[in-house]
Amino acid sequence: MELFFYLLATLTLLGALGAVLLKNLVHCALSLILFFAGIAGFYILLQAEFIAAVQILIYVGAVATLVLFAIMLTQNVIGETTLKGLGQNRWWALGISLVVITVLVRAIQHQTLPSFLPEGRVTTNEIGHTLVTTYVLPFEVISILLTGAMIGAIVVAMETKKNKQQATGDRRRT
Amino acid sequence: MIPLSHFLTVSAVLFAIGLYGVLARKNAVIVLMGIEIMMNAANLNLIAFSRFLPANRLTGQLFALFGITIAAAEVAVGLALVIAIFRMVKTIEVDRIEKLKG
Repeated sequence: MELFFYLLATLTLLGALGAVLLKNLVHCALSLILFFAGIAGFYILLQAEFIAAVQILIYVGAVATLVLFAIMLTQNVIGETTLKGLGQNRWWALGISLVVITVLVRAIQHQTLPSFLPEGRVTTNEIGHTLVTTYVLPFEVISILLTGAMIGAIVVAMETKKNKQQATGDRRRT
Repeated sequence: MIPLSHFLTVSAVLFAIGLYGVLARKNAVIVLMGIEIMMNAANLNLIAFSRFLPANRLTGQLFALFGITIAAAEVAVGLALVIAIFRMVKTIEVDRIEKLKG
């Protein structure tokens, strides 16, 4: 159990670091998939199997595909253009991140955290039942939000006639 | 069993890594990936607390479920915006998108 935890923590941290630090954008996205899978492993370790399955489906399945498509549509994947490094404010970013780590870890160490382990586990049946009884309002609101986000994403990313003319005009000029 | 503080520490380090990605990288897609890393760190906290607290364990898992849904909606809209911006200004480097600069 402990060995599994440390292995998983190493994999997840390496995945996150790779997603943030690697130079090639496609490598970043693949590293992000490793990170998502590691988080799913943590959920299984914490006995939240349904959430782990959702994590795999949504993140490793859908979000990773979206990110890869966005990279392919926006950048020239093969060649020098993918080698975009860090910005000018990297040292500020490093300082702020280190401050955040220090503060959070100190706060965690100085708390008396619960160590009680309740018996029994949450079944998918219970989750589904609670979702349509106690949490039915958030469930409906979030379905409206998802529909709105989906329509919004399509409208924003759609190639309108005006954009197209502008793009062809740019191409003629260059 | 692994204590709760270990999970919280991993989550805190992941959050800081995501924050570094958002602040330091120039590419807008990587900035969105950093936001995703931070959201996953928050979800890991929710699930870890729901495992260790004696209260109703369903609540934490359902909160994480809602968090995942909102993150998916956010990344879809964010990447659509990135594609639209790329079509308009032909770059997605965040410090070169300065059309609104007065």
